[in-house]
Amino acid sequence: MGLVESGKLPKTLSKLLNISRKYSIWAYQWGLACCAIEMGAAFASPRYDVMRLGVIPFPASPRQADLVVIAGTVTDKLAPAVVRLYEQMPDPKYVISMGSCANCGGPYWDSYSVTKGVDQLIPVDVYVPGCPPRPEALLEGIILLQERIAHEDMAERWKGEPIVVG
Amino acid sequence: MSQLSSADTTTETPAEDEAPVEVDERRQAVLDELTRRLGADAVVGSHIEPGYDLWVRVTREAWPEAAVAAKAMGYTFFDFLSAIDWLPSPFGRDMDAQEDLLGDPAPAKEPQPIVQGHAGGETRFQLLARLYSISAGMGVLFKADLPDDDLSVGTWSETFLGANWHERETHEMFGITFVGHPNLIKLYLPTDFQGYPLRKDFPLLARRVRPWPGIVDVEPMPGGDDSEGDGE
Amino acid sequence: MTATSDPTQLSELAARATDNRVNLDFETEGMTLNMGPQHPATHGTLRIVARLDGEQVVSAEPIPGYMHRGYEKLTEVRSYPQINTLVNRIDWLGSFANEVPFILAAERLMGVEAPPRAQWIRTILFELSRIANISLFLGDYGLQLGGMTAGFYAFRDREHVLNQIEAATGGRFHPNYDRIGGLKDDLPKGWIANTHNAMDKILAFCDEMDDLLIGNEIFQSRTRGIGVIPADIALSYGLSGANLRASGVDWDLRRDSCPPGLVYDQVDWKVWTHPDGDCFGRTWVRFQETREAALIVKQLLDTIPSGPVMAKVPRIIKVPEGEAYVETENPLGAMGYYIVSKGDLVPFRVKIRSASFNNISVVPWVARGAYVPDLISILGSLYFILGDIDR
Repeated sequence: MGLVESGKLPKTLSKLLNISRKYSIWAYQWGLACCAIEMGAAFASPRYDVMRLGVIPFPASPRQADLVVIAGTVTDKLAPAVVRLYEQMPDPKYVISMGSCANCGGPYWDSYSVTKGVDQLIPVDVYVPGCPPRPEALLEGIILLQERIAHEDMAERWKGEPIVVG
Repeated sequence: MSQLSSADTTTETPAEDEAPVEVDERRQAVLDELTRRLGADAVVGSHIEPGYDLWVRVTREAWPEAAVAAKAMGYTFFDFLSAIDWLPSPFGRDMDAQEDLLGDPAPAKEPQPIVQGHAGGETRFQLLARLYSISAGMGVLFKADLPDDDLSVGTWSETFLGANWHERETHEMFGITFVGHPNLIKLYLPTDFQGYPLRKDFPLLARRVRPWPGIVDVEPMPGGDDSEGDGE
Repeated sequence: MTATSDPTQLSELAARATDNRVNLDFETEGMTLNMGPQHPATHGTLRIVARLDGEQVVSAEPIPGYMHRGYEKLTEVRSYPQINTLVNRIDWLGSFANEVPFILAAERLMGVEAPPRAQWIRTILFELSRIANISLFLGDYGLQLGGMTAGFYAFRDREHVLNQIEAATGGRFHPNYDRIGGLKDDLPKGWIANTHNAMDKILAFCDEMDDLLIGNEIFQSRTRGIGVIPADIALSYGLSGANLRASGVDWDLRRDSCPPGLVYDQVDWKVWTHPDGDCFGRTWVRFQETREAALIVKQLLDTIPSGPVMAKVPRIIKVPEGEAYVETENPLGAMGYYIVSKGDLVPFRVKIRSASFNNISVVPWVARGAYVPDLISILGSLYFILGDIDR
């Protein structure tokens, strides 16, 4: 109906929508390296269960995902695939960069084949530091993202400049 | 170098096999057999680490035959194949901390000479490969010199199928051509990558842009005195 | 579960293997299937370009390099303790195992030997990393073949081992615990008893996996007779570890050429081989190795000597000039480091011989004539870690 985009939605209703969005995230894991194992432990193991936060892992494809967690080293050879993945996701989409390699290049900061941080390719919402971050750290990152979503202004997001990648 | 496995009270002379250690004789026998098969002018250098390893340096022309000869002698397990660039790095070792300079009298300004390692050598690039024999329980390390103006050598991929990928990697990292290789294209790097990364004169650009601050021994206490910072 | 050496079964398997040869009689149009860098069935970013003839694979070419981080160049500008940190991340599931051959090679060049207590603890952690690595393999292999339950059980039971590694070293993964001359720290109080408990749980997990996965009919029909690699081809490609032992070659670096620094000669254990060389054989060998590793750890825990855990080494480590190569039996295969040192703080060249690199180079040979689901079976059973292939 266009209420959200034009900003005419009453505040309580937009808060309700934000809460419902933050508790229904479908998270796509782009697990590349060691952080993928910790992400797997966070998402799939019964010990650090992520589903209790309302985040369901393992969507069938990135076209159905809200959140992508980039976990691991991004190399220059893989960079086009990351950008393509990000473009395939529908709005509103969020990115969590997990681990030092995805944040800034990490221990391979001087390598000739590593992209120094995934934020050189796509915009990142939450950075989770660590090498590898404990599964609890990733869960905290997801909670931070949920807080951010709860205070988000959807009208701004729709009206603002589109995020152009590349 | 202390002898850890063979506890005979022999002197610690490295390499020259004066020590009557049994394993050492085995390696000497392997070296003699290889020399017999390849010809004495093909085997131009060797080094035995008693109890540990045997290095054999062959000529570039004899490189493919060395594989065939070793395989016939029972060295059927292909371990790895790579190369060594003996040029000392023109960028130094990129660690200029106070700790490092304490021992050196003065930093050397002139270019360092090229010094090869075990089994000698005369050129900048040396091929390195290892084969292992499961029945003998021993491995042999092969080296070969490559002249700077013609970095090419015969392929091992007919004798040892696993050498296919190793030679591709050596090709893209050092620029060495393997004659007779079925598919000598890049393995790891993207197709438009320029340069040969493992050569010593290939710089790591991130370190040129921002030099490593050095080995930090103790971080200064936070909020303490405003000293010049950590270790510089 | 016994290995088959029955000649009729073997000939039947061989006939089935030759049956899968490529059928080029029909005039069909091929298709190129790109199992892209990101795929649930590859352990990471491995890309396989397969040319298909119907459902059969005519050629399969793995394209590595999507996780190439340039280790061999990075080691030329880092000091030995810094390399130790970096090297943990090659085989990122059994991380402690990556440090061991590097430290042993450096110790050989320096001429130091770790004290006995350190050698014991090093071997215990080496075997714990093997359990952590292979239990995930078992779970993940089940996941790839469609039996998702195995994956969850593996993640759950792996936590016991990771707990113990974390209690001793401070990190669930990437412990960075080994040092030239010994270990970083001694064990905390109560660790030995807790590890005994953890090993009991791992043995129970192995029994569960036996029923759930290895004994499962579907698993057996998807893996028996698939991807047969004869021993001479395996040796020529340089396959190592369980892949080679599943082709009948009785070779284990822990028993045959154990480097000084590890204490496998003090323990009573067995090497498992399988004559078939198919996917089932490889899985079965790994499975038995996990059980064996738990038993080895239990024996070692009972006999830990007391004493210091670090030999006298200078604080700033300068390794004398020389070259050394040490290879050990890592969870993935035979991993080795060739260190060229010029007497400096920083090595001159480090060549990393990683097991998965050779293991995956056999894929073009073994995938010819396989069907697409069999390709998944074969890849899973060869078991690689991308960090190990790409370094």
